[in-house]
Amino acid sequence: MRYILTFYLLIPLSSLPQTTSFDFHLPENIKKFADHLFCEGDYLRAIEQYDLIKQILDNDTIEFKVMLGYSSLGFHQESNEIFKVVNDKSNFYADAYLLSLKNQLLIASKLINDSSIALFNSIQMKSFSKLTTISMLYDDEFNIPKEKFISPFDEEERNSVSSFYDYKVEPQYKSPTLAGIMSAIIPGSGKMYVGEWGDGITALLATSLFAFLAYDNFSADHTTRAWIFTGLGAFFYAGNIYGSVASAQIFNARIDFAFSNGLELFLQQQNYFLPEYDFCK
Amino acid sequence: MTSVNKIFFIVIFVWLSLARLFAQDSFADQFNLAKKLYDEQNYFDAITEFKRLLFFDDSEIYNYDTNRMIGLSYKNGGKFSDALRYFTIAEIQSSTPEENYNCRIEIIKINILRRTTHRALTMLDSLAADAKCSNKLDDINYWRGWTYIFSDDWEMASSSFSEIQPNHQLALLCDSMANDLYSAQLAKFLSIVPGAGQFYTGEYVSGLISIGWNVLWGYLTINAFMEDRVFDGLMVGTLLWWRFYSGNIQNAEEFALEKNLEKTNAALRYLQYISIEKKP
Amino acid sequence: MRSKLNLILLFLFITTSAFCQMENLKWQKSDPSYEKPTKQVHRDYSFEADNPGELIAKSLANAYWFFISDVDGDNCPFRPSCSSFLLQSVKETNIFQASLMFFDRFTRDMNIAKGDEHYPKVSAGYFYDPPKNYTLNQGKIKYLPPAFIADDE
Repeated sequence: MRYILTFYLLIPLSSLPQTTSFDFHLPENIKKFADHLFCEGDYLRAIEQYDLIKQILDNDTIEFKVMLGYSSLGFHQESNEIFKVVNDKSNFYADAYLLSLKNQLLIASKLINDSSIALFNSIQMKSFSKLTTISMLYDDEFNIPKEKFISPFDEEERNSVSSFYDYKVEPQYKSPTLAGIMSAIIPGSGKMYVGEWGDGITALLATSLFAFLAYDNFSADHTTRAWIFTGLGAFFYAGNIYGSVASAQIFNARIDFAFSNGLELFLQQQNYFLPEYDFCK
Repeated sequence: MTSVNKIFFIVIFVWLSLARLFAQDSFADQFNLAKKLYDEQNYFDAITEFKRLLFFDDSEIYNYDTNRMIGLSYKNGGKFSDALRYFTIAEIQSSTPEENYNCRIEIIKINILRRTTHRALTMLDSLAADAKCSNKLDDINYWRGWTYIFSDDWEMASSSFSEIQPNHQLALLCDSMANDLYSAQLAKFLSIVPGAGQFYTGEYVSGLISIGWNVLWGYLTINAFMEDRVFDGLMVGTLLWWRFYSGNIQNAEEFALEKNLEKTNAALRYLQYISIEKKP
Repeated sequence: MRSKLNLILLFLFITTSAFCQMENLKWQKSDPSYEKPTKQVHRDYSFEADNPGELIAKSLANAYWFFISDVDGDNCPFRPSCSSFLLQSVKETNIFQASLMFFDRFTRDMNIAKGDEHYPKVSAGYFYDPPKNYTLNQGKIKYLPPAFIADDE
């Protein structure tokens, strides 16, 4: 009898040393760890952990978080590869679709969208309209009235959006031909027209100086010197015309740059109009 | 006690002992797994496993060691800012003076590698002033020497190593470097005589060309002044003579710095790949 | 049955290829060198040229560098320097267009008021002004904002 009693006592006793046993690789534990990594911003590790449990814990949120993680890391192509296998019955399908549009914009600067695919709630619908409208700025063809273009946006966004619209419709370019002609008539004036006052005045002074030196030396019968100054003067004159045309082109490149850079910054600030996700409450 | 009873209790005792012996400490196992990955130089995965342990370890027994190992893993991956963050956390969680000292030295080593040597020197000074580290002065001087090596001050490096031992290997190396390097200041000073600075740094061709130009423009300038052609003299003097004269000074300094850089980098390569001394 | 098998294989392929991708994204051990960065680029004194115009320009440049530029110090606030600008322009276009580009560059160099508001910079502090912005081919222009630190090409 006492042997049997002792035997039954032993079972819990011998399991006492087992209390420091913990299975780190149970799917639930991997998921908890992955969620923690995701909230810390360690997306690459979080994605690696989610990949381990994707088959076992088939979960819409995990799938979407992986897509979000890849996109945050700048791997937009990989993020869109995930979207290809997202089930359209998923809770996050609409969000994933919006995210795929952002990825498309960042990969190829254009959107191919089929708005009949996703069912949006009101916030998502707003994101969708803003994103698809702003993406029109990347197209070569741009034929939309201003009111219609800025209508999807909030009050505080309209100023910026309006200036992007104005650039697209009528960029404030300078004409390289006009700059060249102006510099041919008055050296340096083409550069001043483009806004390069310092360079323009220098060009004017240089060509004038050599013209004067040539004239002065011809008058004083120093023919060789005069011809040298004439030659140099001619090169400076031709160089000034060439440079004015080039500087008008650079000015135009600057306008383009200001637009594309400004648009990129604006979109980043607005998070591409995507809804905020708070998985880390 | 009957013999059956005795046997019974012996069996119980052995069973319990064995059970204790093979007790599963999963946290220790996890730490060992992560450490194994670190030893295999698989640093990214090592960090993942250390972070996993850190996340689940409520008792915080492993906090110091895990944070320190994460710091070391980031350091070996060249991710110095991340390494610094984890070493700082480990320092806060250290429970003995030895642990605290080790963390601070790791932080100093990262500052050396990043060449933020001013910070490293400040930390070394505070360590030296700390009463708890009074038995570590040799170690502190050793790392001070390395800090000076990385900030290009071979003389101070030599004196730091000499504090440990007068003819320390590294003190001798730093001494020979300090003697071997050109002085940029001296090169500039010697260039008051055109070409002299370049000769000092071993660039004879450049020195000769410099002398040639300086003599030519100098002669023309002085000649112009002597013939009362003041404007011509000024033009040649400022646009030509001065250009080549200041160029000669600038050249001498540049040659000195360039050659010093080659020698410094050769010494640093030796220290990194061939020397068997402790490295940052 | 066969289509189910294909689906399983496809699924496995996607997940394993995703995993291989993950391996490529993970960083590896790194051994940063103790050496200090060397900034100076040494002159290329070769006579390689694709056409006579280039050969003339290169010969003139080599002579200029050897006898004058290497001994008169650092006088050009631009990178590439005016002489290198001429050589690169000859490579990009032809000697006639390059000489116009060179005179324009020289004029801009003479502008004492050129400043930080106009040109991007390289890490050593010089103004970055490459010839490809001046070839009159709008498509080749790569605009960089003023004071932006560009990589030396």
